[in-house]
Amino acid sequence: MARPAERVEPVLHNRLAVLRAERGLSRQELADALGVNYQTIGYLERGEYNPSLDLALRAAEHFGLPVEAVFSRRPFAPMSALLYPVTSRREEGRG
Amino acid sequence: MTHSTTQARITRIERMSRRTRRIVAVATLLGLPAMFAWSTFWLGTTVPNLVWGPVSFVLIGMTIVGSFVLYRYVRDRADMPGRRLDERERALRDRAWILSYQVLSAVVVAGVVITGIVVFVMGRPVTLDATLVNALVLCVGVLLPTLPAAALAWIEPDAVEEA
Repeated sequence: MARPAERVEPVLHNRLAVLRAERGLSRQELADALGVNYQTIGYLERGEYNPSLDLALRAAEHFGLPVEAVFSRRPFAPMSALLYPVTSRREEGRG
Repeated sequence: MTHSTTQARITRIERMSRRTRRIVAVATLLGLPAMFAWSTFWLGTTVPNLVWGPVSFVLIGMTIVGSFVLYRYVRDRADMPGRRLDERERALRDRAWILSYQVLSAVVVAGVVITGIVVFVMGRPVTLDATLVNALVLCVGVLLPTLPAAALAWIEPDAVEEA
């Protein structure tokens, strides 16, 4: 029998890892900018912690993006699919 | 509100997996009561000190070393109000205190039920002598302050390796 999941709250997906990599930030640098422990950034990226609205807004503000571009209730599409939708769709059809 | 970059340098104790931390927490909390149970078991027997001593030493050592490891792992993150914690750490600390309360309640209820069974069902008297009081005081005095740290070590997910 499968073990029940420990976490019961819904998963909040985020693009923190991608945005951090794009801007060449370490977890510690992002954590310092947001005023949290760098472990918290790691747990956010791993989907093991859902941020408060305040932290989510601060993260979005830090990246200069609307909050829905950083956090979402549904999984984000890969960046490549967003940047090259036609090519991606063609490749999906072939696959 | 800045968190020092020294936090990025995590020690071996802070890197302990949740599984290891749970083993340490259980060993810490059970070591001292197990030592008293072991001593009571051999009380009145002619067992040589050569057998009794080392086992007692190992059991009490589990609590002493375990407490040190747990406090080193948790630092002051389980304290109320504690140092400046971020929102995740505060939520984790609150969960640890709730878990501590639940564990403590379960132990107290179990103690009362067992005493009730011994006295009312089995009809045996329970004598609160100096040995029992000493054991209870020592267990409560040592284990009660360790409980929130053990609970935090129990619930915290595995650490993020790279800063």
